[in-house]
Amino acid sequence: MNQQEAVKTLTISYEVQIEITQFLYREAHLLDSRNYRGWLDLLAEDIVYQMPARITTEGKHDIPNIDYKSRYFEETKQSLITRVKRLDSTSSAWAEISGPRQRHFISNILIEKGVMNDEGNEEYFVRSNFLFKRNRGSALTSEELFGCREDVIRKENGEWRLASRIIYPDQTVLGTINLSMFL
Amino acid sequence: MERHSGITKETLLNLKEKLKDGVLPQWVLADRDMYDLEIKQVFGKTWQFLAHESELKEPGSYVTRWIANDPILLTKTKSGEIKAFLNSCTHRGTLLCTADSGKQKSFTCPFHGWTYNNEGGLVGIAVGNKVYGEEMNKEDWNLRPVPNVDSYQGMIFGNLDPNAESLSDYLGNMKWYLDMMLGRSDGGMEVQGSPQRYVVEANWKVTAENFESDPYHVQFTHKSSKELGIAPNDPFFPGHGHQVVLDNGHGINLVQFDDTGVSPIPYQGMPESMWPMFQKNLNEAQNDMVKDTFFVGGVYPNLGFLQFSLPLLDSEPGLYNFLNFRVWRPLAPDKVEVWSWHLIDKDAPEEYKEKSYVTFLGTFGPSGLLEQDDAEIWSRVTQASNGIMAQNKDLSYNSFLNYLMGMDRVQPNEDFPGPGVAYPLCFLDTLSRSMHKKWIDLLLAESPVKEEVR
Ligand code: FES
Ligand SMILES: [Fe+2]
Repeated sequence: MNQQEAVKTLTISYEVQIEITQFLYREAHLLDSRNYRGWLDLLAEDIVYQMPARITTEGKHDIPNIDYKSRYFEETKQSLITRVKRLDSTSSAWAEISGPRQRHFISNILIEKGVMNDEGNEEYFVRSNFLFKRNRGSALTSEELFGCREDVIRKENGEWRLASRIIYPDQTVLGTINLSMFL
Repeated sequence: MERHSGITKETLLNLKEKLKDGVLPQWVLADRDMYDLEIKQVFGKTWQFLAHESELKEPGSYVTRWIANDPILLTKTKSGEIKAFLNSCTHRGTLLCTADSGKQKSFTCPFHGWTYNNEGGLVGIAVGNKVYGEEMNKEDWNLRPVPNVDSYQGMIFGNLDPNAESLSDYLGNMKWYLDMMLGRSDGGMEVQGSPQRYVVEANWKVTAENFESDPYHVQFTHKSSKELGIAPNDPFFPGHGHQVVLDNGHGINLVQFDDTGVSPIPYQGMPESMWPMFQKNLNEAQNDMVKDTFFVGGVYPNLGFLQFSLPLLDSEPGLYNFLNFRVWRPLAPDKVEVWSWHLIDKDAPEEYKEKSYVTFLGTFGPSGLLEQDDAEIWSRVTQASNGIMAQNKDLSYNSFLNYLMGMDRVQPNEDFPGPGVAYPLCFLDTLSRSMHKKWIDLLLAESPVKEEVR
């Protein structure tokens, strides 16, 4: 670590650990309870929100298997607002009409490191696992998606914001009929 | 004629009669015997899309695919030839290659260690000389080739039927339109990344028909996108244009933006610098179509396509063009695995390609605002098609699906400049009826008597 980096690297305090964990749980709660407007408020204006595809590759157990060219989400704040607007302000978003029930199970929260960014804001690189379950109508089987996320969580004017999220699904063939949810 | 238990020749002939009246019994969407028969007679006999040539860039590249239940290994050999094999070891049948794609010269089966090169040749038998001696001829145990493999405009197809007609004959007058969609640029088209894959709860006929021949659903299924201004907010959109019925159940809808017939965004919103190249590569009629219309249609039975221009979801001005090809792989009477490819002209600027891809994601990828609603509604057809009333084969409950739109009312446009029979309207069931007629003909087809080899 050179000197400049050392200055920028932040220690990860207990307070930060608790606040970030609570931030991710709060986010999951907003999604599960379909408070999508509230969810949008947690996102930084310059958010990067991506979901590349998982593929099966040939080789040993630890061979890379993400195809970054093939994606399921590539969003900006504005495009996420459009997605929410469709649900909130149109009368025919059939995929989500009569709101399918959904839960985001977030676990294994690991704060890898913290840095002070060029604007003087704290940013933490955070990993977490997700299990998303959804049930529609009176279906006896529920849809499922799982994987991990790599987030950058930033403190802006004293508030935590999601600055970047990359979602890595563990399924190569998605287990949900669509991706009308946020992960 | 060998027939599956529940379905007789008479059943099929009855279906054919019903179709002439513009209706199709609902039971065919969820019947297990029908599904099994389709796997043999439709998927076992027709040309099935396997990959685009840009997925197999260099010698040694390979991808694995499925034709319904048959695992397929598609390779590019040292000499650049494309080969397709059953992805199953000839020793005891193990799935040979489990990867989705990659690059390698040989494939070794993990069961007993037999090794094949990418031309399908058996090149290594573990401790072979000691156990098989010289008596076994290795060549007798090469990978089993898919009987027919061919490509058109970069699209690689396979056919499991050794007696199949050529790909060129099967595509017939669809080729003219494939030339238009895939051949407009000097460098051709290329895929962006691996195909997206997801499973929907629907019968494959529902998804195939929805894409190829049902622009009518757009005005309501995708109403939310109209309300948001992502799709044109004209209640008749995408009804304006031509529905063209082509050979063998193929077809295309040439959709106009509005009733003027002139697109406000010429050449589907492709960069203006590319227009002269399109004009050079297309004939006059094709050029006019690319200039003023968008395309949605299908290669029968289960390859759908869409060449459209839509906006990015982040309200940035401008429309971006993309070509989406998708295979509806049947998994069960009520299950389809969707394989979806994004294609764009190789010659397009890199920045345009990325925007094209993101536009596709926001509209017709699995998270796309239009795509989301399709999957939900297809599954609702499944949910309502399994009961006693819907499944009744005597048809005493009037359980028919309605294909009457435009029947005997809309006449072909005799002056249409392209091949096929073109009707001056896209809200029409004519193409759906043509697809289902091909379906019944395939189900009824006798296996041709194979000539004895002497
Ligand atoms: S099954 Fe492949 S080597 Fe035996
Ligand atoms: Fe649709």
